[in-house]
Amino acid sequence: MTNRSVLGNSVPRPDALDKVTGGKQFPVNVVLPGMLHAKLLRSPYPHARIVSIDAGAAEKLPGVKAVLLPQDVPQRKYCPVYFVPTLAPSMVQDMLIMSDTVRYAGQPVAAVAATSAGIAEQALELIEVEYEELPAVFDPDAAMADGAPVIHAGTEKNVAVNPVISFGDVEAAFEKAEHIFEGTYQTQRVHTCYMEPRVCVVDSDVAGNLTVHSSMQHLFGLREKLAFALDMPEGKVKVIKPAYIGGGFGGKLDIGYIEPVAALLSLKTGRPVRIEQTRYEDFISTTRNPIKVYLKTGISKEGRFVARYAESTLDCGAHATHGAEVINVHGMFGILLTYPCPDQHWEGKTVYTNNIIGGGYRGYGSPQGAFAVESQIDEICEELGFDPVEFRLNNSYQQGDPHPFNPAAKLDSYRFQDCLQQAAERIDWSSRKPAGSDQGVRKRGIGLGCQPLWVSGCVGFPDIYEHSGAIVKLNRDGTADLSTATVDLGSGQITTLCMIAAEELGLAADQVRMTYADTDTVPFDAPSHASRVTYSAGNAVKAAAGEAKQRLLEVAGGLLEAGPDDLEVRAGMVCVKGSPDVKIRVADVVERAEAPFVVMTEEGPQPTNLAEKGTIIGLSSMAPPANPSPATVEFVEVEVDTETGQVDVLRVVFAHDLGKLIHPAGAEGQVEGGFQQGMGYALMENLVFDADSGACLSSDFLDYKMPTAVEMPVKIESIFIESDEPTGPFGAKSLSEPCVTVPAPAIANAIYNATGVRVRELPITPEKILTGLGRL
Amino acid sequence: MSLATFENYFLPGNGREVVALLQEYGERALILAGGSFVHGLAARDLLSGVDVFIDIQKLGLANIVTDPDGLQVGAMTRFTDFEKVPEIQNDPGWGAVKDALSYPPAQIMNAATVGGSIAAVCPYFDLPTALLAVGGKVKVESNTGSREINLKDFSTSLFESSLGVDEFVTGLVLPQPVSGSVSAFIKLATNANDLAIVNVAVQINLDRSGVCRSASVALGGGVNEITLRSAAAEKLLEGQKLTDELMKAAGTAVQVDISPMADHRASAEYRSAMASVLTERALQRAIARLTRSS
Amino acid sequence: MKQLISLEINGEVHELAVAPQDSLLRVLREDLGLIGTKKGCDSGGCGSCTVNVEGKAVYSCMTYAMSVQDRPIVTIEGVGENGKLDPLQQAFIDAGAVQCGYCTCGTIMAARELLATVSSPDEEQIRHAIAGNLCRCTGYQKIVDAIKLAAANSA
Repeated sequence: MTNRSVLGNSVPRPDALDKVTGGKQFPVNVVLPGMLHAKLLRSPYPHARIVSIDAGAAEKLPGVKAVLLPQDVPQRKYCPVYFVPTLAPSMVQDMLIMSDTVRYAGQPVAAVAATSAGIAEQALELIEVEYEELPAVFDPDAAMADGAPVIHAGTEKNVAVNPVISFGDVEAAFEKAEHIFEGTYQTQRVHTCYMEPRVCVVDSDVAGNLTVHSSMQHLFGLREKLAFALDMPEGKVKVIKPAYIGGGFGGKLDIGYIEPVAALLSLKTGRPVRIEQTRYEDFISTTRNPIKVYLKTGISKEGRFVARYAESTLDCGAHATHGAEVINVHGMFGILLTYPCPDQHWEGKTVYTNNIIGGGYRGYGSPQGAFAVESQIDEICEELGFDPVEFRLNNSYQQGDPHPFNPAAKLDSYRFQDCLQQAAERIDWSSRKPAGSDQGVRKRGIGLGCQPLWVSGCVGFPDIYEHSGAIVKLNRDGTADLSTATVDLGSGQITTLCMIAAEELGLAADQVRMTYADTDTVPFDAPSHASRVTYSAGNAVKAAAGEAKQRLLEVAGGLLEAGPDDLEVRAGMVCVKGSPDVKIRVADVVERAEAPFVVMTEEGPQPTNLAEKGTIIGLSSMAPPANPSPATVEFVEVEVDTETGQVDVLRVVFAHDLGKLIHPAGAEGQVEGGFQQGMGYALMENLVFDADSGACLSSDFLDYKMPTAVEMPVKIESIFIESDEPTGPFGAKSLSEPCVTVPAPAIANAIYNATGVRVRELPITPEKILTGLGRL
Repeated sequence: MSLATFENYFLPGNGREVVALLQEYGERALILAGGSFVHGLAARDLLSGVDVFIDIQKLGLANIVTDPDGLQVGAMTRFTDFEKVPEIQNDPGWGAVKDALSYPPAQIMNAATVGGSIAAVCPYFDLPTALLAVGGKVKVESNTGSREINLKDFSTSLFESSLGVDEFVTGLVLPQPVSGSVSAFIKLATNANDLAIVNVAVQINLDRSGVCRSASVALGGGVNEITLRSAAAEKLLEGQKLTDELMKAAGTAVQVDISPMADHRASAEYRSAMASVLTERALQRAIARLTRSS
Repeated sequence: MKQLISLEINGEVHELAVAPQDSLLRVLREDLGLIGTKKGCDSGGCGSCTVNVEGKAVYSCMTYAMSVQDRPIVTIEGVGENGKLDPLQQAFIDAGAVQCGYCTCGTIMAARELLATVSSPDEEQIRHAIAGNLCRCTGYQKIVDAIKLAAANSA
């Protein structure tokens, strides 16, 4: 760690000016000459075999340029998840762009490209599909029962994956436990609700090369999956990096139907093809998987975890996709590694149903686990008379402990206890009253939820890409261009990475510009996901900037007659350490390096130094050194109307040990936005489906409710506990996902404290609270 | 919004033209006022067969006339303009209307119209419940002239009204509340941009001794297929002193008249329970206005 | 059947042919290239498409193009004077209210109506004024801060 001049300041985001004046660079704005518009025909049935499709009338509609049917589509099964190899053994390869079997209501069965979206829509109505309906199953337990409809041939009981993880001897440990608690906790299906729809434009050239624009979280993943699905070499696919996208949150972390369909239609027509999903299509695209957790916990007399047994049933819907990995992250970081416990056994099942497919969503299995674990801790404390804060303090990892996930590393910068203590003090935890003791109709309560251990990326996870790369190039005006494949989802990746580069280069934040990139021109980067960008991409950017700086110092050294090791860069000047007056502007050094070798002077042509010639540039492509864990604690105060069951969240105090803080306002924004998502998950958000047809009933914002500015608490207080993560770029680790994970258990526990009602099923609707109060 | 291709969009300049278009296109025509619920209808498959819009903004129906008998409100009056009417703001007898207009977000306030909210016959809307409680009448026009329909008789079933095929809503008449009247409205919803799960509006008139001379209790939001008045609650209140117990009892009494719907937004049981709670609260809110205004 | 209409947008009159079902949003984005107005849900639920018609915030996705003839329309492209940012735009930058930015322009257009009618709105008025605009990134806190800041800077 060195002195920081750029980091730690809330500099203006470089993308903000463009966004407040119209945001021209969103992928939804991409328009190419001659572009066609495509629409997808979707099945009304949840489970069916396609007997025949007649698209003759659609093809004849004026303006229709191409129709795509299942028989036109390569029948190559793949895993659509961006951050794993397409054929990763730990994942399931069960996706097809289109096939003769429908497994959920809304699955695409045909597509039309036309000169306008309206014509394409009209053409869809002319396509006649004959379906043979098959029996459907929507409940994972029913799907595992004998005689259930088989959704994918070759699977036993519709179970896609079935991980089992054990530590120690759990049966013996339960026998020794003083107390045993059991409970079943159910979470629902929610959508990330990114505001920009999934959209793509795919163009092709005469040689069959593809150029792809898309609102997605991963350039290289999209290239790999698209090439595989279309059975093309990856080199024929170029994915353009969008300057930014309108939100992702994990919802754009896998290849959808639209990119391969647009690609095939473009190859058919030779024209660019655009597909933009409607909000209904987005709602049925990628969702957080519902998980039912049975959790049994053994507690010692002293109030320590001694045994834990859990079974998690994940409803992945019609295809496994993320469900094959979500279940593992859920098991590890949602349950097993939350607090140390010597003897544990967990079994996960990712189960096929005829529901819509799941997907990635901030937290990736951990919100479902935290709801179970953190709710049950409060149940234990209530029953045994422990203070919930003390109980967690006594059961937590300590700074310096071996990392439970990557035992070769230590929890060097781990500050969970500080998070708990400081946040408890801020919310005035000691004033908490006994559950349900408030008099009157409106009752208040305080609760907390924790994510004791999270990640900074995916080093250590089987089959998951984690390396990053960057190119840093200095310009003659003394500024730097940074190019990486990292996509800014809105959470500030551009800002963070430019700040890290500026810090390393000794420039001001606004002297580094994030510039163009595509899969042809920059090194591989894993997606913007898994709370990884600050740490992993940040390390790569720092390395590339460091390499550029080294070259800068070498050239400057020649000019200042000093060795590079004796030089440093400060505020745009290269100067001799200890002699700040011996200096030269960065711009002048770059100018010198870029200038012609022989310069014309009054004395005639004069050679300069060949060794200093060339662009000052740095390149990195590397895996991060480790996977440090942050810790997160959140307290909320709620008020419950015990006649209507409605819950107001009055106050939120959030504490997080994120290593070193890079951009305070940006970090607060993560917490505040994360709370909106977590509060929606806790209280209202729910994708609901018709019990017979499987049709989505909540496919617009009239029916899918999320908190507006009115429901949100007026103030969310963020406490950032800083420490110096030795492996992080300038001491940083990660922030994003736990902000979404902790609100639901904190709210559930606060509702219990207010009312004495324990709800073990999300969302905690007014109806469930009234039922718990015996008023319904 | 993604709608099927429409055949035509008419902007008639007077009522006769509207009626002629209605006669020509019948079920194919949709009268367009603010347009804020068209997508809602389309998404619920209630627009199939409709391919002609008749936009009535050129009819001069956005006017509001105040006279001693009450308010005459043009059908095209936007919520935002209706809310600003001084009588709506100040007369506690119209408190329910003021309350109902305090909920929608700006974009709905600026688009939705008084006539449109009535003509849509959607039980989840707020304003019609309030208008029902304060005794609103709907002005309608056809080629045989115009007539007034009591709001109570306007809705016939879910999304269906007693309008004839060639009739359309031109305005609203709000009778001046009897002196000493107070009213209030309360809505239960999930967020600030939501249709009601349950809403209740009341208007009551008390004599000097605090005895209820008249009461109207209106409920909406899916407690029934249509927004309705609760005769049982009204009967219970009339002639009685409005005590806390009586208001609670009135809440209970509405159960006789409602027949709540169950859907993914709420169970029938919940709507039923909330109808009682909200009735009591609306009465309390109205009474509070009495205390303030006296 | 398309009809020829004229729309006054950001002070400029445009003549164009529109179909009965064409929303103002579609016309702005696709026919006029005014892409600062965003489509987020196309059903009047998210607010990303908010524009000002006669100074008032409306969802352009649920406004038929034919219904706003002779009614002046302002989009984000028409906000700010003489090449300077509107105080709201500057405040959104300064308060850190921009994350993904997809909802930003619609929210600014909603806040614009508020500040035109209430010079120093309180917390509740601000939150109610943007209740028709969904944001998934910010939790609204810094958006509310930005509107307060803009009000203070405009005073």
